[in-house]
Amino acid sequence: MMVRISLTVNGRPVTAEVEPRWPLVEFLRDHLRLTGTHVGCDTSQCGACTVHVDGVAMRSCTLFAVQADGAQVTTIEGVARDGKLHPLQAAFQEHHALQCGFCTPGMIMSALDMIRREPALSEAIIRHNLEGNICRCTGYYNIVKAIAAAEKATRALAENPSA
Amino acid sequence: MYVGQALRRREDVRFLAGDGKFVDDIAVPAGAALAFLRSPHAHARIRGIDTRRARAIPGVLIIVTAADWAAAGLGKLVCVHPMPFGDGRPMNEALRPAIASGKVRHVGDVVAAVVAENRYIALDAADAIAVDYEPLPAVADTAAALAADAPLLHEELGTNLVNDNRRGDAEAARAAFAQAAHVTELTLVSNRVAGSPLEPRSYVAEYMKDGDSVTLWATTQVPHMLRRWICKYALKIPETKLRVIAPDVGGGFGQKVNFTVEVATVVWLARALRRTVKWTATRSESLLSDTQARDHVTQARMAFDKDGKILAMEVDTIACLGAYLSNFAPSIPGNSYPQTITGLYLTPALDFRVRCVYTNTVPIDAYRGSGRPEATFVNERLLENGAREMGIDPVEIRRRNLIPAARFPYRALGGRTYDSGDPPALLEKLVALADYAALRREQARLRARGVLMGIGIAAFLDKSGTGPSAQLATKGGLHGGYESATIRVHSDGKVTVYSGSHSHGQGHDITFAQIAADRLGLPVEDIAIIEGDTSQVPYGNGTWGSRSASVGGTAIYRASERIVEKARRIAAHALECEAAAVSYDDGYFSAPASNRRLSFADVADLAYHGAQIPVGDGVEPGLECTIFYDPPDLNDPEAMHLAVVIVDPRTGQFALKAYYTVDDCGTVINPMIVEGQVHGGLAQGIGQAMMEHVVYDRESGQLLSGTFMDYAMPRAADMPPLASAYHCTPAPSNPLGVKGGSETGAIGPPAAIGNAVVDALWHLGVRHVELPITPYSVWRALAAARKAAA
Amino acid sequence: MYPFAYHRPKSLAEASELLAADEDTKLLAGGMSLVPVMRHRLARPAALIDLADIAELAAIGSKDGKLWIGAMATHFAVSRSALVQAQIPALAKLAGGIGDPLVRNRGTIGGSLAHNDPAACYPSAVLGLAATIHTSVRAIPADDFIVDSFETALAPGEIITGVSFPRPEAAAYVKFANLSSRFSIVGVFLARSGGEIRVSITGAGRHAFRASALEAALGANFTPEAARAVTVSATDLLADIHASAEYRAHLIPELTARAVVQCLTPDPA
Repeated sequence: MMVRISLTVNGRPVTAEVEPRWPLVEFLRDHLRLTGTHVGCDTSQCGACTVHVDGVAMRSCTLFAVQADGAQVTTIEGVARDGKLHPLQAAFQEHHALQCGFCTPGMIMSALDMIRREPALSEAIIRHNLEGNICRCTGYYNIVKAIAAAEKATRALAENPSA
Repeated sequence: MYVGQALRRREDVRFLAGDGKFVDDIAVPAGAALAFLRSPHAHARIRGIDTRRARAIPGVLIIVTAADWAAAGLGKLVCVHPMPFGDGRPMNEALRPAIASGKVRHVGDVVAAVVAENRYIALDAADAIAVDYEPLPAVADTAAALAADAPLLHEELGTNLVNDNRRGDAEAARAAFAQAAHVTELTLVSNRVAGSPLEPRSYVAEYMKDGDSVTLWATTQVPHMLRRWICKYALKIPETKLRVIAPDVGGGFGQKVNFTVEVATVVWLARALRRTVKWTATRSESLLSDTQARDHVTQARMAFDKDGKILAMEVDTIACLGAYLSNFAPSIPGNSYPQTITGLYLTPALDFRVRCVYTNTVPIDAYRGSGRPEATFVNERLLENGAREMGIDPVEIRRRNLIPAARFPYRALGGRTYDSGDPPALLEKLVALADYAALRREQARLRARGVLMGIGIAAFLDKSGTGPSAQLATKGGLHGGYESATIRVHSDGKVTVYSGSHSHGQGHDITFAQIAADRLGLPVEDIAIIEGDTSQVPYGNGTWGSRSASVGGTAIYRASERIVEKARRIAAHALECEAAAVSYDDGYFSAPASNRRLSFADVADLAYHGAQIPVGDGVEPGLECTIFYDPPDLNDPEAMHLAVVIVDPRTGQFALKAYYTVDDCGTVINPMIVEGQVHGGLAQGIGQAMMEHVVYDRESGQLLSGTFMDYAMPRAADMPPLASAYHCTPAPSNPLGVKGGSETGAIGPPAAIGNAVVDALWHLGVRHVELPITPYSVWRALAAARKAAA
Repeated sequence: MYPFAYHRPKSLAEASELLAADEDTKLLAGGMSLVPVMRHRLARPAALIDLADIAELAAIGSKDGKLWIGAMATHFAVSRSALVQAQIPALAKLAGGIGDPLVRNRGTIGGSLAHNDPAACYPSAVLGLAATIHTSVRAIPADDFIVDSFETALAPGEIITGVSFPRPEAAAYVKFANLSSRFSIVGVFLARSGGEIRVSITGAGRHAFRASALEAALGANFTPEAARAVTVSATDLLADIHASAEYRAHLIPELTARAVVQCLTPDPA
């Protein structure tokens, strides 16, 4: 049986008929064709599916689309502004923090969340907060560097989004 | 000069913005979904398969079993790297069936395939298929595969032995052992691991009405080889009926090289149904169906003289290949392993034996390092245990045994002549980087306070750049080792390079652009790189075994030279002078004693306009070149690692306090890319060393590590503080001097960390710790040592 | 995933009604345990009742002199709550170590307790702190709440509303995690209140349990040596690919000793 949901995705209103059993990640990828959010595991561990729901990072494989009714959802596609890379995205490129790119959207979404939650980052805090995101390519060193490098600009942008 | 610079990657923007195009991202309007039914038993006879209930489910399009595969006259999933017995007899070959027939031989063996309108229906239908199994006793323990009473996987072979190969000279080794001042002996197990690239395997067989053909979007590292294998061996169709495109691929590490069980079925059913068919593995499915790696049991000894110089090495390995032979599998323990078993040491005598066996487990195949982690673990654990047993410092014993630079090319008894290197210089670099003397002082200081610090080293050889096609053929290899490159200059002077390699994270785009830009004398922004489409790119052998820079890169290098040579001739004609007199600098062709010059773009324009081409001299219009480059040799990167640990003997927990690496991968084209490869390899090496383990129940063959809840991989917080350095002895076999740089990270850690933990606990009687070295493993080693002492 | 109906009630009363209407209905809290099980087609409830809109269930506060944590309070909220940090810092630390940050953003104490995974952290905390689990129907002491693997004293139709914790004199949680699941191979929750010592173990048995021999030893002598002197039997302990029963038996007194040290050490904050 289908249920009607209304939500905002990357700032745009979306209305759709969904089956309750559809995971949010499936709704985003197959129905909204926002394929930047990825599926890497089936035990809610790898973090490749990380999105923001009402400003908080969550695994979209472990949420049903119906649970997002009424919510603001942000995916990786909503991070860059007017075609301009977010400081975190720019830092990832600068520091070679991605190789195959599959874990990358989840890393970015988790990194944004850790900067929001933690008053200040350190290498140890960054590594600890990446526990929910698996990467098989980079060994994490450059990801940690990129997040540290982008912290200041990310906070500034969060405080003053029109900048 | 671009080569040597850390230019940033150009493809990053699309990945960062969420615009990557991975196979599962591909829109499939009117596509059908495929689900596989897999065996829950490790070993069983299939008495019957009842698909009636499943077929009755609305939306089910087709269900196939092995009988349908046979009825369609389809073929086999060949093993492309066979390895005969040492005496020349063909190996006991049992290939992976696309769909198991008569028997299932590992948990996850495909029993049926269902195509339905969507994935939910396909899964429901697979659930509704009733299979009547008669379970059989299973053998899932590598060491037990050759026991007289071991269940036989392939009765027609009469044995679980795949082949038996020796290298070296048993007599000479026996004599050396008899004279040895000291012999070190160990039983070593290289733990089975699952490469687990984060993107699960996925195939979309897009049916093209026009031409009744299929475009296969595949998570593959080898698009051309895959096309050939599917067409020639499995489906027996003309290659013109199949196009293979590998778009963005989310990591491979060897898991996506294979002629996999699923891919032929997806294409077959798309053609049969005249519909696009899609399949994406779930992670638990990947852990049952992606090939796995390592899984060796080894008895080994090393003989030393009184000064700790190696006199001989004796190795007896049983290497598991799983239930069936996967593509490359036999050559890993059969070739790569012995070729690097004596490592970087002068080893005068070797008695080496490897027997490959079948067990009721998922098939084994290539995975980052392929054979070298196994070899390094044996070689380096023996050497360091020997050092400690004889009271010789582990760095000093290496100084006494490393192959000096002057001895290269060095013919090792394992069968490979190492091309170039300077191991003693590498060692001194490592010692300086880690400040080894200071580490030993700190170790003593901490030991006095009751804190157990350990230092462990791994010095080793890698093997890359496969390779001369003739060499691959000597054991019956079914593919070549050349690489292709087409350089197409456009009429405006911009360039597209087509390479038969395929990047799945290794940064080929910028690396190849740097090579081409330097050789063509053009800005790197003017060069685009295209890989991964059999309709656009000439036949290539793909990316694996760290071959893309040395083989793919050289193909591009050579093709670029030819382009410049032709451009020079066109320029000479336009400049009205001899080609030999024309100089090419900063993108301009100029004539001697004249201020006339032509830009590269000017020459391209002339080439495609066609009127001013010296056709009388045999020059054709156009400016394009295709090369198939067969390398004259492989190449041998070298590396050394040093691990520092602090062990808590109470719980067995230990911390990796620091890790040092020194790599010699010859010329480095892009240091940022190479360093990224070392980092990534290290994570996988540390994974194997400390936590990754594919575990089967010994009795039932059930896979106990069936999800990431039980298969551990390193997270960011598990990686140690790292310092790295590089050394360069160029590869003699290619003009770039480049060697592979992407696997050494995965090779060293089990040996380095194993040596470090043993170093920390040696005084407590510990002589070895089992891989993966988890706290539980350390605790067991301590408990065993205490028991032995009592 | 099998199909199911989805409800998102606005009140506890509405949730209770929905739950009573159909036996084959499950409550959805954070979903961290339930959703993966459903994705693997191991559970097929006919309907899910999402508790997300019942705001009062997420409250953290004081009630009758005890710390009150609402059933829907996330692990993140508990770990960062100034009140929890002040009253039972070991509990805040425990919550901050569950899963990973993404799990902590969603997982709830009510969900964790209702699920009662043998290796989960919260069951050992409620047992160790002599907490009371409050439901829509009654109050259940922790000692009675935990019954077996994935089994609690909750009756059909009963909804956890929150947990009340008496404040201990000292408490500590030491978690020895499995590197794959990041659940406990052995987790020890130690609390001391008045003369009473409670040592609660998770990850080592069919469910969280109290280690009476350790409680007695520490009651007599609250030192790490006293804990280490206790031998724990491996019989009835879990064995799996990550740890044998003997290893778990070895870890229990060792980790308890470390918990004692944490209790005796003044809080660095």
